[in-house]
Amino acid sequence: MNAFYLVNLLVYAAVDAMACLGLSQQFGIAGVTNFGFIIFQAAGGYTAAVLAMPSDSANGGFQRYIGGWHLPFPIPWLGAAVVGGVLALPFTFLVGRRLRGDFAAVGLLVTAVLVNLLVTNYVPLFNGDAGISVIPLPLQGKLNAQTQGYEWAFTAVALVLCVGVYLFVRRITESPYGRSLRAMRDNDAVADSLGKNLLSLRTGVLVIGGAIAGLSGGILVSYITTWSPAAWGYAETVVLFAAVIIGGAGNHRGAVLGAILVPVGFEEVTRFIPSSNNLPPNLIPSLEWVAIGLLIVVFLWLRPQGILPERKRVIALPPQPLPAGDRTAPASPGESAPADPVTRSVERTPPATAVQAAGPGAGQVMLQACDLVRDFGGVRAVDGVSLSVRRGTLTGLIGPNGAGKSTLLAMLAGTLPASSGTISYLGQDITGMPAFRRARIGLVRTFQLASEFKRLTVLENLLSAVPGHRGDSLRGAVRGRRYWSGDEQAAIDRAGIILDRFGLRDVANRYAGDLSGGQRRLVEIMRALMAEPSMLLLDEPMAGVHPNLARRIGDELVALCRDGMTILMVEHELAIMDEFCDPVIVMAEGAVLAEGTMRELRARSEVVEAYLVG
Amino acid sequence: MSLFLASVGFGLVTASVLAIASVGFTLQFGVTDVLNLAYGAVMIAGAFITYVLNHAGLSVWIGLPVAVVACSAGSVLLNSAVYTPFQRRGASPITLVIVSLGITLIIEFGVQALAGGTSVSYAMSQGPTLRAGGLILTAVQLAVIGVSLLVMGGVHVLLRYSKLGKAMRATAANATLARNCGIRTGRVITSTWALTGAMCGLAGVVFAIDSGSFDATSTDVFLVLILAAVFLGGPGQAYGAMLGATVIGIATEVSATFIPADYKYVVAFVVLLLMLGVRPAGLLGARA
Repeated sequence: MNAFYLVNLLVYAAVDAMACLGLSQQFGIAGVTNFGFIIFQAAGGYTAAVLAMPSDSANGGFQRYIGGWHLPFPIPWLGAAVVGGVLALPFTFLVGRRLRGDFAAVGLLVTAVLVNLLVTNYVPLFNGDAGISVIPLPLQGKLNAQTQGYEWAFTAVALVLCVGVYLFVRRITESPYGRSLRAMRDNDAVADSLGKNLLSLRTGVLVIGGAIAGLSGGILVSYITTWSPAAWGYAETVVLFAAVIIGGAGNHRGAVLGAILVPVGFEEVTRFIPSSNNLPPNLIPSLEWVAIGLLIVVFLWLRPQGILPERKRVIALPPQPLPAGDRTAPASPGESAPADPVTRSVERTPPATAVQAAGPGAGQVMLQACDLVRDFGGVRAVDGVSLSVRRGTLTGLIGPNGAGKSTLLAMLAGTLPASSGTISYLGQDITGMPAFRRARIGLVRTFQLASEFKRLTVLENLLSAVPGHRGDSLRGAVRGRRYWSGDEQAAIDRAGIILDRFGLRDVANRYAGDLSGGQRRLVEIMRALMAEPSMLLLDEPMAGVHPNLARRIGDELVALCRDGMTILMVEHELAIMDEFCDPVIVMAEGAVLAEGTMRELRARSEVVEAYLVG
Repeated sequence: MSLFLASVGFGLVTASVLAIASVGFTLQFGVTDVLNLAYGAVMIAGAFITYVLNHAGLSVWIGLPVAVVACSAGSVLLNSAVYTPFQRRGASPITLVIVSLGITLIIEFGVQALAGGTSVSYAMSQGPTLRAGGLILTAVQLAVIGVSLLVMGGVHVLLRYSKLGKAMRATAANATLARNCGIRTGRVITSTWALTGAMCGLAGVVFAIDSGSFDATSTDVFLVLILAAVFLGGPGQAYGAMLGATVIGIATEVSATFIPADYKYVVAFVVLLLMLGVRPAGLLGARA
């Protein structure tokens, strides 16, 4: 094994590992399937080339390309990273919107093919099909690039940058921002309803991944001193995806492992296959591709989590506070409410709009809807609904199946846009406000079907909902653990108290997807509470839950309302309505039929006919 | 003007090939909810089967039915052995797309391993050139258009008037409900893949005929045209695919009179990205 071989191996390993780390963060952590990834590496490569080369007329005139400013190292590499990052911005129109994941991925794949086609055919840009060559090596003028010392120095720099990228990517992933990315990956609609700005999150990972890919392209181009469209077809993206999937999507060490096994591994394996004149020349490369295809399918079937699966993040909870009384059974909600200042004070901090605790503010209208209508094609699911919900009330919303209750809730929460009508919250018109902003002003919803973040632990589920966390932004994540650890510890303490209240401390560090149905329901409610809401929209919170547990949840909700929370709850269990809700709104066929206490409603014939009978 | 008309003529041929391919692709998606990106690979495999027979002395028109049958069987196998098991496990749509990319690599480069990397072409005569009102087409090109029209007619009759067609439409609309109504959705799905697989094989051979020379990766760009036609009309909508194919086919050829021919596919790309960004349900799809 000679030195040249080793240098070659290490440089390719560094470049491929870097690219895989960028892709792993987009695909494995954030759930953004960027089939156009290779374009960013290509852009970085071309940028580094045209920044480092002299202008094309001065360069012998046999290649045509834009740029050519003959800039010294390290500007070409910096430029490569910047261009890679900036190039990501136009792509956000495909991933930011609520487009099916596979459709968006296909759009990105097609874009990669298109860009390759354009660069191949438009020669003045980057010399077309022939590509750019004789790219100057870094510091070529100052140092002798032919020596072994130079080669090793280059290799060392590439490896150092690779390690730097690894640490950077890990810092982002292991922050609350990274937790939000994972939540978005697991269930983007729910993340949206908890205050996460999906467009901004996806743009962030596209830009970071783009910059990393661009840097990797710059390094590669400086090493092989040539770059052409053949080097970056969409097949190369498939190779990187194979690497990330095999190594372990969602695990950064897995990404590095995948880079070593797949792109580097395949290159090396071919060296050891004895060459034979009997075989057609392209047989081995073709079979390599077949092997990669097979590996992708086999791994996705047998071991989709990859060789190194995503680690579970285990977070230590502070010990249970001693004077809580009986510690063998979880504190019964009714008893603990008045006397426990710790619980009360951390349960909900009033939003900036300064809603008072129960007392002077009680009776204030929190949420008002006027003539809400929602059409689905030819079907009118909600037909001119008007309602107002007052502070401190636990309002029930009942009606037969198909009455439009969930649709109405979705419109109030912002998950569905209204076809017409207005909604206002604390006097502010929120009709056009997207769901994540409504969550940030205190209007939070839960979902009917299982919507926990499956690959986050219960504790992480709760922590993901915390608003205003210093670490929950890209800038905060980059600034590192010391910047946001204070907020994180406060959030963990709050989560611990809520977990104790609902008796789920034992499962805090289990994956939320592994819990029983009733437990997952509780996680959903606890998570909504962590978001510091001033009004909750609950969509069948008791569905499929044991009656005793349902009663406990009901008691809990009543206690919250006594403390100033407002709740609108869709439910089917009339016993729950009887016991806990006042007022109750009845819907049928898209419209409000009646409103009042359950006793009043039972007395009205049209309500009985529409719903209460049978 | 004559250049324009001639390009319209070429556009009709491209549209014909594209129509056969796109209708097959969109029906696969409609009934199974899988974007089968390996469709292009199956096409080129069919083209090569006919090539091997052609190389051995048989006429292309005899090799064509063989390719059709082979691709039909292959597609059924692909769905039942690969896509269905993944779907039963609850794999996400994006996982299925990645799987289909893996299958594409296996098939395309498997073909390349067997047949070599150089371009090949069929040994066949194009027949007499016919001119009519500015359109200039060979007999073979006219035959391609004719075959395409036959297939479109057949699909129309199938979907509208046959029991299988109605069952396909029901399964595509709501598979669970269709099952509860007594429709044997498993059989419907298998039949759909058999039919669309046949169309895929047919599309592959006429693609090869129309292209002149081709190699194992020739359908990579063509797949983008298929996707453009499918998303223009609306994924899952057979008539949408026919409309989309006509528009894309003619538009790409006509654009070659205005912009350099190398860029003619850019039209298709732009259409596809626009549709995905603005109206993913397509022109004929229901607005969400």
